[in-house]
Amino acid sequence: MKIFKTFLNLLPEKIAYAHCDIPCGIYDPYVAQRAAHTILRMTQLLTELEENPSKEMAHKVARMTHVKEEHTDILEEELETLRNDYFKEEHFKAYPNLNSLFINALKSAAKARQEINMDAANETLAGVQGIAEIFFKTKNVTPIRVKSVYPTGGEIILHK
Amino acid sequence: MLLFAKFRVVGHSMEPLIKSGETVLVSSVFYWFKKPKIGDIVAFRDKEAVLIKRITKVDKGKYFLEGDNKKDSLDSRKLGLISRDKILGEIIYRL
Repeated sequence: MKIFKTFLNLLPEKIAYAHCDIPCGIYDPYVAQRAAHTILRMTQLLTELEENPSKEMAHKVARMTHVKEEHTDILEEELETLRNDYFKEEHFKAYPNLNSLFINALKSAAKARQEINMDAANETLAGVQGIAEIFFKTKNVTPIRVKSVYPTGGEIILHK
Repeated sequence: MLLFAKFRVVGHSMEPLIKSGETVLVSSVFYWFKKPKIGDIVAFRDKEAVLIKRITKVDKGKYFLEGDNKKDSLDSRKLGLISRDKILGEIIYRL
């Protein structure tokens, strides 16, 4: 198995397309940002819950955790779509930190999924915001940070 | 024909089995001993690009290839039948 893995690692990676019929060209980092805010909000609510092991409290924890899981799935899918379908090699060359923004956002999202971890939830949001800023720059529009209307109190990246 | 090659898949037409961003190993080795058959997922050449689809029909030695995600796939329904020489190999492993 080790030899097989070494062999796989040595092979150069090429691209194969599983093309969609409709290359719509519609990409937007908004959904990922909303998912990151939801992860943060669920983490805030879970942190604020009293440590009271009642049936009602267990029910609340289950529901909040479920929403956090769902939005982590959405965030991962949206980030993978941006990374694999929208951003091209020239974007990664022009913005050398783009790849690490994706890696770190996905890593912290996994941590925010596994734990009740405010730092991980905030890092996820910050990573997604960094990606959103680069996204808008590649579209030749100026990204702006505005205060979101969400109870998280965090910002959201839009463009002028 | 490819002995072994590693491809990163871009696009959603093979979902839910193969997601965009997944890496797969493609080989023609098994096709030295058998013909491509219905159900095989293959890499094939379309102009300059390499595409990945599943064989859904075989017609007089040519292959009808479709994405699993039929609602959103550019495949033989538009590209037509694919000849054997365009097929580079079978997907034998998902990393």
